[in-house]
Amino acid sequence: MLGSKMTTLRAFTCDDLFKFNNINLDPLTETYGIPFYLQYLAHWPEYFIVAEAPGGELMGYIMGKAEGSVAREEWHGHVTALSVAPEFRRLGLAAKLMELLEEISERKGGFFVDLFVRVSNQVAVNMYKQLGYSVYRTVIEYYSASNGEPDEDAYDMRKALSRDTEKKSIIPLPHPVRPEDIE
Amino acid sequence: MAARGHVQDPNDRRLRPIYDYLDNGNNKMAIQQADKLLKKHKDLHCAKVLKAIGLQRTGKQDEAFALAQEVATLEPTDDNSLQALTILYREMHRPELVTKLYEAAVRKVPSSEEYHSHLFMAYARVGEYKKMQQAGMTLYKIVPKNPYYFWSVMSLVMQAISAQDKKLSQTMFLPLAERMVEKMVKEEKIEAEAEVQLYYMILERLGKYVEALEVVRGQLGEKLTSELQSRENKCMSLYKQLERWPECNALSCKLLLKNPDDWQFYMSYFDSLFHLIDQGWEPPSEGEHCSEGEVRSSVAQAIAFVEERLAVEEAKETRPLRGPFLARLELIRRLRARGCPEEQELGEPLELMFQYFIKFGDKPCCISDLKIYLDLLTTDHHFINRLMETVPLSEPQDDGVALPGDTRALQRHLCVAQLSRALGLHHALDTTGKLDLIRQLKSHYRHGLQFGKSCLKTELQFSDMYCLLASHVYIDLWAETGDETMLWQCLGLLEEGLSHSSSNAQFKLLLILLFCRMGAFEPVVDLYSSLDAKHVQHDTIGFLLTRYAESLGQFAAASQSCNFSLRFFHSNQKDTSEYIIQAYKYGAFEKIPEFIAFRSRLNRSLHFAQVRTERMLLDLFLEADLSSSLEDNVKSMGLCPEEDDIPWTDMRDNRDLTVLTSWDPADRQLSEEQRSFSLQEELLWLKVRFLTLRLVGTLAVLSHPPTPRNAEKAAENGVVAKPDILRPLLDQLNTTLQNGAQFLERGVQYPFLGPSPTRLAHALASGSCHCQVLAFQLAAYVQELDAAALEETTEVQTQISNSFKSLLIQLKEILNKCKGDLLEVKEGQCKTQPTLLENLVFFVETVCVVHWVSCFCAGVLRPLKASLQKRKKKKKEPISMVVFSGFQEFTAGLQSLFSEVLDHIKGQETSLTALKLGELTLEEVMPAGVRIVGFKKTQLLRISLESDVLT
Repeated sequence: MLGSKMTTLRAFTCDDLFKFNNINLDPLTETYGIPFYLQYLAHWPEYFIVAEAPGGELMGYIMGKAEGSVAREEWHGHVTALSVAPEFRRLGLAAKLMELLEEISERKGGFFVDLFVRVSNQVAVNMYKQLGYSVYRTVIEYYSASNGEPDEDAYDMRKALSRDTEKKSIIPLPHPVRPEDIE
Repeated sequence: MAARGHVQDPNDRRLRPIYDYLDNGNNKMAIQQADKLLKKHKDLHCAKVLKAIGLQRTGKQDEAFALAQEVATLEPTDDNSLQALTILYREMHRPELVTKLYEAAVRKVPSSEEYHSHLFMAYARVGEYKKMQQAGMTLYKIVPKNPYYFWSVMSLVMQAISAQDKKLSQTMFLPLAERMVEKMVKEEKIEAEAEVQLYYMILERLGKYVEALEVVRGQLGEKLTSELQSRENKCMSLYKQLERWPECNALSCKLLLKNPDDWQFYMSYFDSLFHLIDQGWEPPSEGEHCSEGEVRSSVAQAIAFVEERLAVEEAKETRPLRGPFLARLELIRRLRARGCPEEQELGEPLELMFQYFIKFGDKPCCISDLKIYLDLLTTDHHFINRLMETVPLSEPQDDGVALPGDTRALQRHLCVAQLSRALGLHHALDTTGKLDLIRQLKSHYRHGLQFGKSCLKTELQFSDMYCLLASHVYIDLWAETGDETMLWQCLGLLEEGLSHSSSNAQFKLLLILLFCRMGAFEPVVDLYSSLDAKHVQHDTIGFLLTRYAESLGQFAAASQSCNFSLRFFHSNQKDTSEYIIQAYKYGAFEKIPEFIAFRSRLNRSLHFAQVRTERMLLDLFLEADLSSSLEDNVKSMGLCPEEDDIPWTDMRDNRDLTVLTSWDPADRQLSEEQRSFSLQEELLWLKVRFLTLRLVGTLAVLSHPPTPRNAEKAAENGVVAKPDILRPLLDQLNTTLQNGAQFLERGVQYPFLGPSPTRLAHALASGSCHCQVLAFQLAAYVQELDAAALEETTEVQTQISNSFKSLLIQLKEILNKCKGDLLEVKEGQCKTQPTLLENLVFFVETVCVVHWVSCFCAGVLRPLKASLQKRKKKKKEPISMVVFSGFQEFTAGLQSLFSEVLDHIKGQETSLTALKLGELTLEEVMPAGVRIVGFKKTQLLRISLESDVLT
């Protein structure tokens, strides 16, 4: 499935916020307040990558960060947002963007990469599984209710990086956790 | 409230409950608790500041400020007070006071790293670059940490960027910054990637590309590791700046060998190729071509390079990459543009695009890829026919439509349909042809729904785009024939589409546009809110809502949508400053100018200026009754009519004008010229509105002082007449209206899916603009009357009396343009007349302006009349005052006009409610109940215009 992205991959900039409607007018893609984007751009600019089509349209983007304690072997890359516009789906673009985030996390010496996904978002869960991610734990009612839908649980999915030689970071927890228990 | 100092401090324990109350939004309790604490501990300054925060948050700004200043003048040096004051000043939007605070603190505790660093950040928040530079160096002297040194360097760069005098930047600030970095380089003190990044930024801005290249390619460049391909990207950009085409060429090829799908490097490769050809570049007879390795500088080599990439893809077992295939088309286009016959060696574009379709036609992006190269085709029909032959379809059904058997076939067929449209083949069809096309597209749409039965609500249906295509053809038909049935059909189809694919944003966007164009705003509110547009989207697509809410009489919705946008813009200033500071902390130096440019882009947003103006106008319109005074309104809005604070010459058009998907041929797509016309038109209309607002505001300023209304007395007391601000504004309004009329003469048209025209054309046609000018003119006459001695006013009195009469006549004329049925149902056909509604709104707006002018007149005339009566008692010569009787006739005339318009509106409501929509016999049943209700609730006009202002 990896293959035909045919894309310009480059750093996301503030001006892209004016052009990302075709990606963000999607029910599962959150449009955050400006501070949220600026925080990522100020702190982890290398983790915010956008894909541009030859015609100039934005195809998709990934936004992430590095966090956690090195001493406790919890230093890792985190995927905060990943979204691809409908017309650029089924090209393996999301996989490519994930690959880049993993590579950056490798360079930073992370032990693993993790992400949260709605348990109902089966398409995404399956894609992450194909990319080598597994469910590390379930976080109860991680997504708060909106538009009359109830609160929803999240899967915390992880993939070990080369630094975690024994893949200790991805051993699944036996019990679900609550949002306040995660760091 | 984050930081709380040290836990062991007993004051912390005492203050904690107040912090908690504030955190929980319980401001009253916070104030009480602070008062309690202050009784026992008078000198606990922080408690005072926390109380001030509570006061500030409960709207008692003045009290809060006074209390804060009590503490600030003591120049506190305890963490708690300093941090609480910082928070308070930020909430007061007074960041400059934070700098004073820490300036005092570092004076008292000169060795504090913490306070110096707060001071630096406080300067950063207000953009005091020079002081930042000094604060950074002071910090570095106290604690020699690299980041502090480079904060200082970056502050020099910011001085360079913000300097008015660019020469100063190039000869002073940047060279100084460069020397500061060089010093560290020489002393081998460079530690972090951010420092190298900053060095690169400085050299780049100085145009020292050779030096920059040395840094990037040298040992320092090895630190550039966070961003992927950071060094390569920087080198590439420098090669282009330096026009080192051999290096650019070789590096592009190298990167393409690594990733044959990275489009930007095909572009730089081809760019470099033709530069080298034009320069007649020859490789050196021996040794390396250039520092980046092999250069491929002839057309033959370029063709070979692309062919090699293709061969690799063709040989793959897995799905091939798209890049090389599109690169071939790109190369053909460039060769053709230069008239190079070698183009033919790459193949016939039609054949190549055909092959591309065979390989990638089942991808939704195939249309976006190929549409860029459609101009290379010479025979469109032949192309489409060949593509169609390859799409596996069933035998034709009863309706003669052959259908795909799976989603891949569907996607291929859809792509052909999209390409046909992009080639203009849909537009070329006659009415019958178009109707037949719609029939087929609908058939495909409905048939395709079976493949998406298991789709989640958040997913799109595979066949959704057929529905959208058919809608576009309906719109074509309507545009061509003016037959509104087509739009009704289109609404029905899109509602059907939405019922199967409830999160399809394109359906919603098009429905919004159609409902607005047809004059029905009611359904638009829900549709728009289901898009869940937030934050920056208010700026990019908020215009969809604000363009029509007011013009279709939905004043409350208009006011609300302006508020949403305004809230976003107002928070921007504070928000961005915080992240500029963060960028310093994390050493993301390249982001600092970016954030500042972003802030400025939002502050200069066209939409911002528009919602600000419209919001104030709406306030004035909605408050147009006798119970509130214009002065209070104008004051509470903070409107200063003398001031023009809109950045007219440097406005940013942040609207996303291509948010609606369109597969129209290139010559029907929104052009750059149309974009700029649209902006021009928006600016003209904004100017009309802004001047109207300022003129109304001026009336408040003029009627403000209750000074003796007698010219002689005023002169005696040495009261100088107010500077005439009404007339210059009125002149500007007249000029702008003339410019507007001139603009409209050009007859600019926009694509239906592009920007909507502004209200300008309708405003002029309705006569409301000229009626408003007349009203302001009247105000100017009345002002003149006020300033002159009563004996010398015959001429101006005649002018005023005539104005009263003309105003009534013009208002009556506008009202006549509102009459007729908003929704006409005849012979089973619906016809909307949104213009009637828009004219009614113009009428209402004009009446509001007339109302404020009348109040102004009354304010002037009332004391005049009183003084006249006094004269009569003194048996002086009676002076005839035609204005008084004129005004009375005028108000009486207004009165009857209002009863007429209220009757008219009642009549409209009755006739809309009475419409038997069941009688509608559209060609097809309208599914999902087209939201006709939208037309019913033209709940305008709750304006209680009491016209008896004088009595």
